[in-house]
Amino acid sequence: MSELFVVGISWRTAVVAVREKLAFREEELSDTLRAMKAELPEVAEALLVSTCNRVEVYGVAKPGQDATGAVRRFLAEKRGQKPADVADVLYDYRGDHAVRHVFRVASALDSLVLGEAQILGQLKQAYGVAGGAGTSGPVLGRCLERAFGVAKRVRSETTIARGASNVSTVAVELAGRVFGDLSGKSVLVVGAGKMSTLAARHLRANGAQHIVVTNRSPEKAEALAAEIDGIAKPWERLVDLLAEADVVISSTGAREPILTKALFKKVTKARRYRQMVVIDIAVPRDAEPVIGEMENVFLYDIDDLEKVVHQNLAERAKAGEHAMKIVEHEAGQFEHWLKSQGVVPTIRALREKFAQIADAEVQKALDQLGRKDHTREQQREIIQRLVHLLVNKLLHQPTAALREARGDEATLRAEVLCELFGLEPVEGERESQPALAEPQAEPERKAAT
Amino acid sequence: MTGEVDRLLSVPPSPAFWAAVVCYAAAATMLLVVLAGKQKLRPLALALVGLAFVAHGIDIGWRGTQHVHPAQSVREAIGFLAFILTGGYLLASAKFRLTIGGVVVMPVALIMLVAARLTPAGTEPESLSTLGRIHISLATIGVGVFALASALSAIYLVEERALKRKKFDAISFKDKGAPLESLDRLANRLIWVGFPIFTVALVLGAVWVSKLGESLDRPEYPLAGVTWLAFAGLLVARQVYGWRGRRAARLTLAGFAAALAVLLIYLLRRIVG
Repeated sequence: MSELFVVGISWRTAVVAVREKLAFREEELSDTLRAMKAELPEVAEALLVSTCNRVEVYGVAKPGQDATGAVRRFLAEKRGQKPADVADVLYDYRGDHAVRHVFRVASALDSLVLGEAQILGQLKQAYGVAGGAGTSGPVLGRCLERAFGVAKRVRSETTIARGASNVSTVAVELAGRVFGDLSGKSVLVVGAGKMSTLAARHLRANGAQHIVVTNRSPEKAEALAAEIDGIAKPWERLVDLLAEADVVISSTGAREPILTKALFKKVTKARRYRQMVVIDIAVPRDAEPVIGEMENVFLYDIDDLEKVVHQNLAERAKAGEHAMKIVEHEAGQFEHWLKSQGVVPTIRALREKFAQIADAEVQKALDQLGRKDHTREQQREIIQRLVHLLVNKLLHQPTAALREARGDEATLRAEVLCELFGLEPVEGERESQPALAEPQAEPERKAAT
Repeated sequence: MTGEVDRLLSVPPSPAFWAAVVCYAAAATMLLVVLAGKQKLRPLALALVGLAFVAHGIDIGWRGTQHVHPAQSVREAIGFLAFILTGGYLLASAKFRLTIGGVVVMPVALIMLVAARLTPAGTEPESLSTLGRIHISLATIGVGVFALASALSAIYLVEERALKRKKFDAISFKDKGAPLESLDRLANRLIWVGFPIFTVALVLGAVWVSKLGESLDRPEYPLAGVTWLAFAGLLVARQVYGWRGRRAARLTLAGFAAALAVLLIYLLRRIVG
């Protein structure tokens, strides 16, 4: 039977300096997969996913073969590494462990940030590449499709994806708690730090349309404004800019607070006390804590944002336990399906053989009926005979095999037949009457006349 | 006259009333469960609120068939007020997540409905002219709208407290309720709707009382004036001084407390006789 396997490296086993040595660029994936299929006879199907947190091969080994060793060597050699050098950081899973791993990865239960949404898209993309390269097949296809279904179930049935998981999305979430829809809201970015750029981008993505940047250095303000599609305004107009802003993101390198109580007294009055969210992500802080006590001013510093992140991640971890149960259940169902695939060729052959016999007998009966007009009685006899003949022919071979067997083999065959056909043999009637009549020629002649 | 007294005293609660009581209690419980974290039960909780609203409406309609008008007395008006409150909550819930509000509104509506139906009706019917009925109807609608604005203001204060004090593990923060600005704006709009209705009701009430020749030294009259002043002051403060948020929410609740006091005095007077 074909066996699913996983060979890979992830953030759990290696630092980025090691992971990047085995990483593949998007445009390399297709050729790498084709080469793997061509060079490794053990591999029947393969998919390669390469992200910043993992490089993994999901594959199906040919019946009776173990492909993991060959794939380990292949990965190392393709990236110019000695297999022994990366042996410790590479892991592999086979069979049900591999299925569970794929389901966990798709559901973001194996991600650095539990419940993150990116990995599912990356897996879908990798599956598309494998399809394009012609290296994915029915087993891998079924496994991946199921994995996407499991991921969807996990996201909808648990709270694994709830709550912002990084500082900049928390800033957006907090602004949303005050304003709801951010479309039409004005954002002021004070300073030109990397964090404020990220937060401003998130606000833009969530509907904020008017983003103004101000900095002591006009050049830096211009550069950042261009990067986030905002407008640079002079630092000297800070009070006016604050009065016009609904959300302020501050991350300057100032040693003393620049958003002071005295300044905000003017600002809140000029705003006619409309609600205002101030996100201070600078260290040392840009805003005096006391402005957070002013009416309708909501001030959050970097510690507050991180507190929310930790809280959300803790909630996600709790949801992860429920999600693992879903993965276990779904993996069990997939394994059941996979095992059933081993008997599919036998089922197919059995059906084909029976269909051939049936077609031949039906054709004979139709020929008889077509030769001349028959009375209803004659037609009935032809059909009855067809059914008898069909039953006899279908059962001829198994009956003969049963009669020919001796000793334990005979008992075993009899038991299998009983189980397959749901029979309950009666002891006293063993040889008293023939269970199956051999094909008789007489009715055929009679019917043909 | 005797027939009217009998009607006031003898119209028993309909089966729909009992259904509404059960639905209100179940909805309040379910909303508490939702607030405790079972978010998936929110549609069920809202469906129960909807059922309570429908049953309450059927009860009011049934009383109508028994010639009991929703504005026939303060007692009936309190029941109608609860009906408006529930309807408003349902409407607002279509747009916002107001679980915390529901946990407060449902028990309040239930208490008001029970008070309106199960408290003693008093020994005498009120002398109700057409003027009196219009006054009670408008006052009920006006106070109903104020009640909705007050519920939103109460939610505002709870949510604002969590956000201001950075209580990120508070239920009100975790519940991800309606945004503060929306709550504030909606409460303001409701007061703009309720205030003219309440003003007309107040004027008609004054005319009615003067026609009846009653004394104006009863405590409910100055309290009604306080209610009017609170909401008038709030509208002026919002327009002129830019009041909003916490300050506006507190004044809204103060105005509504005065309105509730008026209703309670009326109700107690009817019960005590």
